[in-house]
Amino acid sequence: MIALQNIQKSFAGQKALNNLTLEIKAGEIYGLLGANGAGKSTTLNLLLGFLSPDSGTLTMGKNLKTEVGYIPENVNLYPYLSGIENLDYFCKLTGLKYSKIELTDFLSECGLAKEAHNKRTQSYSKGMRQKVGIAIAYAKKAKFYLLDEPASGLDPLASNELSELLKKLASNGATILMASHDIFRVREVCQRIGILKQGSLVKELRSEEVSANELEQLYLKYMQN
Amino acid sequence: MWEIIKNEWQFFARSRTLLVTSLGFVVVLLLTIFLGYRQTHEQTLRYQSAQKHFRTQWENNREMHPHGVVHYGTFVFKPANLSSGLDEGINSTTGNMLKLEGHVQNEITHTEASQTQAISKFGKLKGSLLLQYIIPLLLIFLAFQSINSEKQSGRLKLLVLQGANLTKIILAKTLSVSIYGIALLTLSVLAYAVLNLKTLNAEIISRTLFLFLAYCLYYFIVSGLTVYLSARLKNTALALTSMLGVWIIWTIFLPNILLSSVEQWHELPSRVAFKKAMRDDRSNGINGHNSSDGRLKELEKKLLAEYKVDTISKLPFDFWGVVMQKDEEYGNLVWDKHFGNLRNVLAQQKQSYQLGAILNPFISLQNLSMGFAGNDNKHHQDFLLQAENYRRGFIKKLNDKHAYGSTKTDTSDWDVKVGAAFYKSVADFEYQPAKLSSIIPIYLIDLVILIFWMLLSVSLLIFGSKKIQIL
Repeated sequence: MIALQNIQKSFAGQKALNNLTLEIKAGEIYGLLGANGAGKSTTLNLLLGFLSPDSGTLTMGKNLKTEVGYIPENVNLYPYLSGIENLDYFCKLTGLKYSKIELTDFLSECGLAKEAHNKRTQSYSKGMRQKVGIAIAYAKKAKFYLLDEPASGLDPLASNELSELLKKLASNGATILMASHDIFRVREVCQRIGILKQGSLVKELRSEEVSANELEQLYLKYMQN
Repeated sequence: MWEIIKNEWQFFARSRTLLVTSLGFVVVLLLTIFLGYRQTHEQTLRYQSAQKHFRTQWENNREMHPHGVVHYGTFVFKPANLSSGLDEGINSTTGNMLKLEGHVQNEITHTEASQTQAISKFGKLKGSLLLQYIIPLLLIFLAFQSINSEKQSGRLKLLVLQGANLTKIILAKTLSVSIYGIALLTLSVLAYAVLNLKTLNAEIISRTLFLFLAYCLYYFIVSGLTVYLSARLKNTALALTSMLGVWIIWTIFLPNILLSSVEQWHELPSRVAFKKAMRDDRSNGINGHNSSDGRLKELEKKLLAEYKVDTISKLPFDFWGVVMQKDEEYGNLVWDKHFGNLRNVLAQQKQSYQLGAILNPFISLQNLSMGFAGNDNKHHQDFLLQAENYRRGFIKKLNDKHAYGSTKTDTSDWDVKVGAAFYKSVADFEYQPAKLSSIIPIYLIDLVILIFWMLLSVSLLIFGSKKIQIL
């Protein structure tokens, strides 16, 4: 379970998170929607341990190294390594040693075309790098996944594959928090959705309660108010 | 940590720019080592040939009075050290030929620097120039963005989340860069060893290992400091300029400032003053060509009393041979006094300079490199001392022959001639280089300071890793 209770966080007197309370159960995918500067990345960085809250409590796994998988908005890989070498390297840092077949499977499951596996990532598009980033998180077989605009740069097919992958992970018991601008993707993949504005959760709803269009209208309404 | 080092090395191996630069540098490095070897080799052959020539000339000399031979003298050569290919130290400026004769201790002549056309500050391309100046520069260029680029690309965040410890990342980056320098150093040492395979012995190997250790420590220090700056400073350009500034201060400004300072603190007499003081001291003593000298009279009186005779012509030996030797011994005392003082001042200068390494590890590296290569002032002074001791024995032998080998002629004068048999009986000068065991105590302080700097770098890296802002 991921839990944030009454979290306050300010930067130079500017409130980034204001009394944020959030709970995500095991096996659940939670989508955090919000405009730029709403506090999505701050929330993720607090959970990742890169920031400390001014007040409030955070609960997540005990070991970031083994329990948390993270996909940033821009996955920057080592350009002189191939996709498979990058995946292998990042896995080894966690202490995971996979065979070449297993690594290939991870990349394929994350939508990276086989012919790209052994090419240096300096020739990869943003979407291809993103897929390797997803594979790095996926190969970790973590309990918690924190995703910051994970579908950024992905084509619709790859984006759909990502959705399926996340659902598969959740069905295996993983807890997933996904921060995004992509209302359609969030509506499609998440069970619950929260709308964050100026560091506060202004609306929380279950995805089946609204259609994608209704969610968009709701989002715009909150952003405009 | 091993994985991070391996990854860094993959970058080194796959970066075309770095590969081309490295290959070019390796070619220059090997060429320099080879040219250094050739120069040493040719110098050795030239010395051997000259020594042989002088020996032949010596053995085929015409019959002469021993005192004539004292003035004829002989020549000795400072042999080129085998490690000169790696670091020729002060050899190019100290000279290598010494004329040994009676009455006077000559200065060593024929410096390579005095015969060169090179007008560059750095002179010709030497192994030490590449190992001490250029390789550290390459390490700076390799390391200045090591942490910063990870931070700016966001990979550092991912690395940490994948379980890489920040201290390990920073240490691994430092080691990776140091290993690059050490690889180039190893190549140089191996090339040098292969070229000198026939003459390698335990002493040279041990010296080279110490030299190797000193360079490894220095490369780690330079890499560590650069990685630290890369971790602490906000942008890569600032990290690069800062470290280049440190490099300039360490290699150009501080050594020169420190050298000038120690020369002021422990002042050496000027060449003119030094020579005048020697001359004055010697002229106050017994002079073999000046029978009116008080010391001469004293010696005469003493010997006449000892042998209970009233005139020197009744002494059972040639009085003037004894006078020559006594003059020589007095001259030796004068030399010991003045050169002893000179050596003391040089030793004080050296010690102060060595302590300056607390501010600048480059000084320790230079000292250790020259010292273990056998081309420092200590080795030079050792050569001068051995040559002087040889000169003393050589002149004494001639003076003894003069005094006690003479026989009276028909006109009741003492006379003696030395010929081929005598010339052959005089052994050639053989320089025995100082043993490593006598060098280590002198350079222990430099080793300790380099180790101190290395520990300081490790501490900085560990401290720096705690201060890295990942976001």
